[in-house]
Amino acid sequence: MGEFFKSIPLYWAKIIAGGLYVLLAIWVITRPREYIYRGAENKKKWRDLRLWAVFLIGIQIILYIIF
Amino acid sequence: MKELLVQHIDVFLVIVYLLSIFTFGLLFRKLVESTEDYFLAGRALSWWVIGMSIIGTNIGAYDYIGAAGGAYRFGIAQANYEWLGAIPAMIVSALIIVPYYWKNKVYTVPEFLGKRYKESVRVIEAVIYGVFLVMLLGIFFWASGIMLHTYLGWSIGMSIVVTAVVVGVYTISGGLAAVAITDVVQLGIMFVGGFAVAAVGFIKAGGIAPFFAALRATHPQHLKIFLPLDNPAYPWLGMILGLGLVLSPAWWCANQSIIQRALGARSEWDAKAGMMFAAFPKTLIPILVVLPGFFALKFAPPGAITNPDQALPWVVKNFLPPGLGGLVFVAFIAALHSSVDSTLNSAATLWTRDIYQKYIKKDASDKHYLVFGRILTFAFIVFGVAFAPFTEKFPGIYVAMQTLLSFFQGPTLATLLLGVLWWRSTGWGGLWGLVLGVISAVILSLFRVNFLYVAWWSFVISLGVNVFVSLLTPPEPPEKLRGLVYRYLEKDSEFKAAVERRING
Repeated sequence: MGEFFKSIPLYWAKIIAGGLYVLLAIWVITRPREYIYRGAENKKKWRDLRLWAVFLIGIQIILYIIF
Repeated sequence: MKELLVQHIDVFLVIVYLLSIFTFGLLFRKLVESTEDYFLAGRALSWWVIGMSIIGTNIGAYDYIGAAGGAYRFGIAQANYEWLGAIPAMIVSALIIVPYYWKNKVYTVPEFLGKRYKESVRVIEAVIYGVFLVMLLGIFFWASGIMLHTYLGWSIGMSIVVTAVVVGVYTISGGLAAVAITDVVQLGIMFVGGFAVAAVGFIKAGGIAPFFAALRATHPQHLKIFLPLDNPAYPWLGMILGLGLVLSPAWWCANQSIIQRALGARSEWDAKAGMMFAAFPKTLIPILVVLPGFFALKFAPPGAITNPDQALPWVVKNFLPPGLGGLVFVAFIAALHSSVDSTLNSAATLWTRDIYQKYIKKDASDKHYLVFGRILTFAFIVFGVAFAPFTEKFPGIYVAMQTLLSFFQGPTLATLLLGVLWWRSTGWGGLWGLVLGVISAVILSLFRVNFLYVAWWSFVISLGVNVFVSLLTPPEPPEKLRGLVYRYLEKDSEFKAAVERRING
């Protein structure tokens, strides 16, 4: 088992991390709008937490590509 | 003469900071009239206060020094603790876990687990986190004493007492509101100090691009985010499985001092947005903690740094212009104080709600519990001050406490996730999953398995035991699960309508 993981090239770590981020983004985007805005004072676009999350994930993907 | 002037500027900055934060924190004392005010800021916190307070609480002086040392030794891989090891978990916590806590109007994470599973689960979680937080106070006070003593020359005893008085008075009088608002100020100071160090470093290096180009030429491995499996501290698989999928979600979903701010939110949206907003400053934390390690790597002469943890102190002492060192030092103190006040408030909340109110004095008035919470906070300060010198005599205490807590991280996360997401998980399943998960973590640690893998496997074992025992025991009645489990919240139109009505007043 240990030998198997040692044989995996290091760039696969980035691919796995990137894949997790993409899956997370898809999950976030598919959250219902009503659930996201529940309890908000109004439904202005900036209060859409899905946009916040996607922006955060985008930054993360860029950072992991750079490094 | 110049050294004397620098010292005077630094002392002046520290005293101005201490007096300002003391006075500012005291302004909130009039807002506290009930336990809800004291422990949850009257459930009136807005999203940006919650977000900044969460990060202020999360970053302590130990993180500064340890993370800079980690960056000095291993490089940018240290940033995984702020990125992969935080951001995804914060998003998940914001969108799944925090709303459940908030809707159920609980004060503590163990209280939620007790409602969902059994009271024994609540007691186990409350005692372990309660003890951990109280012990942590002694360590924080000692660190504060050492810092003031080293930098300003005050005696350690006096330094500890000054810290205890400043933080203690506003925490006891103003409760969570004072803690959260002072955290915001303290985080601001931390960022000003951190950005100032970054600016000085890049200017000395001739710019950002030349700095990284030079670093890539001399230390190419230091700019790689993932390190090989044989790395003793940060193997990539451990970082993804142990840190990314277990330790980080456990921290951001189940840590009382983190979650408590979101519980004090004025609305469900503010609770979710607060946790999500915290991820923005969290993304920038490597500028504060990783860059100083890189500057030490590039600018320190050979032999100047013998222990990686000296990287940051070297930068502060030898690298910064007069006055700026004092500002950065104030940032350290602010980081430490924001952790001390949050730990104090959370420890008092846990012991008052989950132990005293539940098992010792059940039907007293709210005023009684408020007074008890304040007395307890004071008692924890006294204990922390008295216990502080022992942490120096037994340096293993911090390591031991961290190790003890790490045994609980994986099993706690498994218990919480199954509790929220799977209606079939039962009280006995939760209890056995938690207990056997912890035992498996202890056994794995005895075999000297890397703690990242301990977290992962104890999580998996706890999950498996919970599922197995739950399927062997009768399901919980829907009445018990309403509002606590996904199936009975998002898909239960009757309960959903009740929650909507409550939120909309």
